[in-house]
Amino acid sequence: MTVALDVEPEHTYPWVDAASPTHPSLIDTRHVTGELFGFVNIPMAVWIDETGTIVRNAESATIERSPLRDMDIPDGLDERLTRMLTEVKAIPDDAAAYRAAIVDWARHGAESPYALTPDEVIERSRPRGDDEARAAACFELGQHLRDHGDADAAVAWWRQAHQLDPGNWTYKRQAWTLVTTPQDATENDLMQGPNDVYDGNWLDDVVASGGGENYAVRPKL
Amino acid sequence: MIITDEQLDHVDAATFASATGWDPKPEGLCQGEVCVPAPGLRRDDGTVDIEAAAARLGMPVVRDDEHGLTAVGPGTITGRTLTTAAAPDPELIDRVGSSFRLSSLHGRKVLLHAWASY
Repeated sequence: MTVALDVEPEHTYPWVDAASPTHPSLIDTRHVTGELFGFVNIPMAVWIDETGTIVRNAESATIERSPLRDMDIPDGLDERLTRMLTEVKAIPDDAAAYRAAIVDWARHGAESPYALTPDEVIERSRPRGDDEARAAACFELGQHLRDHGDADAAVAWWRQAHQLDPGNWTYKRQAWTLVTTPQDATENDLMQGPNDVYDGNWLDDVVASGGGENYAVRPKL
Repeated sequence: MIITDEQLDHVDAATFASATGWDPKPEGLCQGEVCVPAPGLRRDDGTVDIEAAAARLGMPVVRDDEHGLTAVGPGTITGRTLTTAAAPDPELIDRVGSSFRLSSLHGRKVLLHAWASY
């Protein structure tokens, strides 16, 4: 099943309609699955067995190598776009190994070496202290206010969420794209550049966190 | 979990359990096989003492006085996102707005893949 962590359901519709999924395709407007499972970026995934037990905790979940990784960055591109593509190319690529692990689990279930015990799942789940928990509360307050028509009031809470949990990229990417996407755009802005509303932006925050190589929660396979 | 000032003293056990994943039971606040003793938490009228529950589970309580809202964050007692490997069961919506529960897939392997439009 797929879950879109999007506060605006209609932003997901073009993607969902293009995919025509035959699996359950769902939308999480409150980012509650992030809080419950530990999704802090996308794409990420958890595996759940037939008894409703998590056998693999939240980790980066790509299954195809992005063509961006093998693309030469053209000369003459905008300097910021060039730096952004450089960081994107540096994001670790575990797609082939993760895909193989999924197939192995699908075939062998609990016998798969990739299916973890409950203790391992808990131990590998993301550490959460007061700051991360408080960030979740702040994000939810912002989402609630936005959902009730007060997008301006949401900003202060989302800014707090970003400060408290800078490693949560869904909180940041969600907020940035809503202020950097032009009103007449048909897709959300993926560049998420500097803006007047939030302190951070995609490129500068990625660089500050150690670069593309630290951007994803790599699967421990 | 978001609670309005009007709701603050009237949150019932089922609502608290659905929003937080912690079920107020006679033996305490329970999630999967994990139970945290919490005597007196559940009032005689079936409602839950939110402040006491939050304190017991290490949940931050964040106030928005201007809008009359209280947000209760997730628990921190284990220091990890997951307290148990039992999968939570949040309510989600599909493309047409219909409600969906993860538990409806019980009996099948589930790859729960998170994505977004951004």
